[in-house]
Amino acid sequence: MLQIKPILVALKRHKAGTILIALQIALTLAIVCNALFIIQQRVNRLQRPTGMVETDLLTVQNRFVGVNDLDTAPLIRSDVLALRQIPGVEDAYATNSYPLRGGGWSTGAKVDPNAKKSMAHTTQYFGDEHALATMGLKLIAGRNFNASEVVVADQRAIPPSPGVIVSKALADKLFPGQQALGKPFYLGDNTAPSAIIGIVERLQVPWSGTWSDNFNDNAVLLPVQLKSNFTVYLVRAKPGELAAITRSVKDTLFKNNHMRVINGERGIRTFDVVRDQAYKSDRGMAILMGVVCLMLLAITAAGIVGLTSFWVGQRRKQIGVRRALGATKRDILSYFMTENLMIGLVGVVVGAGLAIGMNLWLVSQFEMARLSLFYVFGGIVLLLLLGQGAVLAPAMRASRVSPVEATRSA
Amino acid sequence: MLKMTHLSKVYRTEVVETYALRDFNINVNEGEFVAVTGPSGSGKTTFLTIAGLLETFTGGEYHLDSVEVSRLDDNARSKIRNEKIGFIFQAFNLIPDLNVFDNVEVPLRYRGMKAAERKQRIMDALERVGLASRAKHYPAELSGGQQQRVAIARALAGTPRLLLADEPTGNLDTQMARGVMELLEEIHREGATIVMVTHDPELAARAQRNVHIIDGQVVDLAEDPRFHAHQAARSSV
Amino acid sequence: MFAYYFQLGLRSLRRNIVLTALMVMAIGFGVAASMTTYSVFRATSNNPIPQKSSVLFAPQIDNWGPEDNDKGEPPSAMTYTDAMALMRAHKATRQTALYPISISVVPADANILPFQENSYAVYGDAFAMFDIPFLYGGPWTAADDESHAAVVVISRNLNERLFHGANSVGREINLDNRNYRIAGVIDTWNPQPVFFDPVNTSGFDDPTQLFIPFTRAIDLKVSTAGNNNCNKDPGDGWDNWVRSECVWIQFWAELPSKADADNYKQFLTGYAAEQQRAGRFRWAPNVRLNDVMTWLDVQKVVPPESKISLLVAMGFLLICLVNTVGLLLAKFMRRSSEIGVRRALGASRREIYMQFLIEAGTVGLAGGVLGLLLTGVGVLGVNLVFDPQIARLARLDAELILLTLLVAILSTVLAAFYPTWRAAQVQPAWQLKSN
Repeated sequence: MLQIKPILVALKRHKAGTILIALQIALTLAIVCNALFIIQQRVNRLQRPTGMVETDLLTVQNRFVGVNDLDTAPLIRSDVLALRQIPGVEDAYATNSYPLRGGGWSTGAKVDPNAKKSMAHTTQYFGDEHALATMGLKLIAGRNFNASEVVVADQRAIPPSPGVIVSKALADKLFPGQQALGKPFYLGDNTAPSAIIGIVERLQVPWSGTWSDNFNDNAVLLPVQLKSNFTVYLVRAKPGELAAITRSVKDTLFKNNHMRVINGERGIRTFDVVRDQAYKSDRGMAILMGVVCLMLLAITAAGIVGLTSFWVGQRRKQIGVRRALGATKRDILSYFMTENLMIGLVGVVVGAGLAIGMNLWLVSQFEMARLSLFYVFGGIVLLLLLGQGAVLAPAMRASRVSPVEATRSA
Repeated sequence: MLKMTHLSKVYRTEVVETYALRDFNINVNEGEFVAVTGPSGSGKTTFLTIAGLLETFTGGEYHLDSVEVSRLDDNARSKIRNEKIGFIFQAFNLIPDLNVFDNVEVPLRYRGMKAAERKQRIMDALERVGLASRAKHYPAELSGGQQQRVAIARALAGTPRLLLADEPTGNLDTQMARGVMELLEEIHREGATIVMVTHDPELAARAQRNVHIIDGQVVDLAEDPRFHAHQAARSSV
Repeated sequence: MFAYYFQLGLRSLRRNIVLTALMVMAIGFGVAASMTTYSVFRATSNNPIPQKSSVLFAPQIDNWGPEDNDKGEPPSAMTYTDAMALMRAHKATRQTALYPISISVVPADANILPFQENSYAVYGDAFAMFDIPFLYGGPWTAADDESHAAVVVISRNLNERLFHGANSVGREINLDNRNYRIAGVIDTWNPQPVFFDPVNTSGFDDPTQLFIPFTRAIDLKVSTAGNNNCNKDPGDGWDNWVRSECVWIQFWAELPSKADADNYKQFLTGYAAEQQRAGRFRWAPNVRLNDVMTWLDVQKVVPPESKISLLVAMGFLLICLVNTVGLLLAKFMRRSSEIGVRRALGASRREIYMQFLIEAGTVGLAGGVLGLLLTGVGVLGVNLVFDPQIARLARLDAELILLTLLVAILSTVLAAFYPTWRAAQVQPAWQLKSN
């Protein structure tokens, strides 16, 4: 614009202030870009579906006291039957783990039994023919287990299951571009194959941390009832019955057999609580970054308002002279807006570099993804707009300086 | 008391060199009341800032109270300003954030005086200018004449050897100006050395001696043709 | 003079109230963000056993080899085979193998339901090694370890619950339907991070309430309540499992001097070489010996959230300071007439520096007080981001309060250097000329 040259001259005389504002914009851009990126990543994580119908689902962690692992099968059987008897319970089954529980089993899977390396890592969930209905999984191919297929096994000696149900993600990994249903594959070091009798649309692993990210949706369901002191029960309530069952389930189980421990806060949880706890740090981190971003933007805006106001105050006489010489209010306004835009542009150029540098460093230090340039551009636009918004009030004040100021002594 | 010999002051910019003072000589004796006059831009304010050690000079010598000041560092110069010189400015230059008492206290603070002595001196000085009752007022609550009296009290509180006044009545109306002038004369009668810059001939006339500066040099009023030309120009206005 | 300048500083807080408020808020928020995240970082990077952290060592032996290990690093836990070999060799002053167990306390009163507490299977040496304080009795003996005795050490807390705080040494308690004789009751002991087992606790957990002899736990075939990692199928049953290459045991050695540590490392290398010769390892010896703090670092006990949020908060503080530099510059330069007058009245540059730095310090102090309030709020809000196990460790104690104020004042004074330098450059002549 017309005013660029005089602005440059004026800025030269306010080097320190100019550099400070530009620096602040640059640093803010660097942090805001990375913070927004972290928010987006965390939000993405906690929006990952488990594949289950998460409403009306209750989880129970149970440990029998003073019973040998190998003697637990009838106790578990009796518990499951008692749970299914509770009025308001739709279905229930016993397993080793469930999505987002935090702990569970995992192993390799491969199609060629002689291959040295496995093709995919997968979690293993054990359960009976009630598992699909209880979890509310969507079967997209094949069939569910029959009661006759379910075997009872020592957790340290599990025989290979002839037929298993896998998640679509695992099926695609093992048999890319092929029809996986009916095909055999090998779990862990098994020498006998397991055939895929069913495929569910999705089933997440028990872990929510980054270490399981590369097999997040790989799961296999095995028709096995484990003999183990430690058991997890999943219970599906009929609509509207969840709260009541959550209150009564402990009594039901203890009435059935009181030599057990159902420990405190993780003992009985609705799935909403499970999800909350699993993603606590992700959600917290997103909130924290959001708060930091807002405060940063507010402080940067305040800084711009403060310094520009100071400049306007310093230049009242000069502005008066310009007005006396025929500058319109618009001219004065656009002078300060343009000035801010120019400082802002320098700031965002430096800031974009800083943002990318900071991200590269974070990538090298932590398990983090590369910053998408979209965020840098978004941040640039955001900060330039912020600057223009912040400068508006002092610039308006400047534009209202009366030409009379020119005649007053400083 | 104040002696400048062959003193010069040059302002340099990228393009020009301007002599504000050139071969400037002046001698003010202890107890004198000297008025320095001259047209705008003649160098009288430059003279005053150098005399007050507010600025350095380019060449020549300046003895203040028998001390050659050209080689003193910033700290030593601050000390001399603080202990030996009192300033009275045209715009009063009171610190708006401080009340009357605190304003007068400023130079005493830098002298590291005990609180009791400071208080004594401040109240004496304010008494002197007739403003003891306004000690807790802020400058904005006082009239121009009162503000200048506070400034004079501030200059006096440190019992300086030399009082430098720059157009002390320049921002005041006639009546207030007269009061300030009478105060200065009174201070002079009590033994203070005063150098006052003014372009008001009436005011200058009340001093013991007049020194006229034109183009950065002291001129003999009677002989210099430029003075006559200047006077003629003035009278024709 | 300090008092005078401090007084001037306080007075100046009230001038340019908006500018001052902006600065105080910037500093307050910046410092609060930094201190809140620092409180978490401090808790997570804490040395839980400072008096012994340099003499306790966690050995690692690579029994998986380059094909299965994690980027060349040996597994974080040990096999039963290796742990027993190290115990038998007895090359350290003290040593213990340990693992977390799930064991339930069955109260004598049948009306009270059984309950479960954090429990570990350890050797008797562990108590002395980890400086675990005793309230009553003491550790079980080496002979108890040898004889796989049914003895137990319980926590003060458990003792309160079961025996109402009475000296219960010699009495019996029922664990999983078996009776154990109480050898000792420990006093409150809750090192955080849980340095002796960061692998299974991620570093933070409730205090341990029960200890039974490792040898006894193995006799009873009590599996680990922590992680069990296998590089290949261990085969069926308990006996195959303990003989397998599955890793699930933590091991600690107390090595009082550098020479002891060097010797122990040599011993480990020698042991691995022996295993290689015997054909069990098909790779060169790959062993590690880390002291407590190195081990906690290797196990990444400080959560990445803590580091990232501390870094972001420090960046935030930096921006707040840049902001403060600008605002202080405006605040100070607005007063250039005052500076000119003060200089004319005899203030040296040093006096001006003093005045404005102390004034900045006053702003910093105000920011620090605000920061302290916000840090208090922040520390309460820590549990939004971190696990309760970690969140409860973040506390606003005297040290943090002092640090908050100090950081606020120092950083503001630091930010004031440039504006103050500019203020001191104001010429005393300025005033006369501008008229």
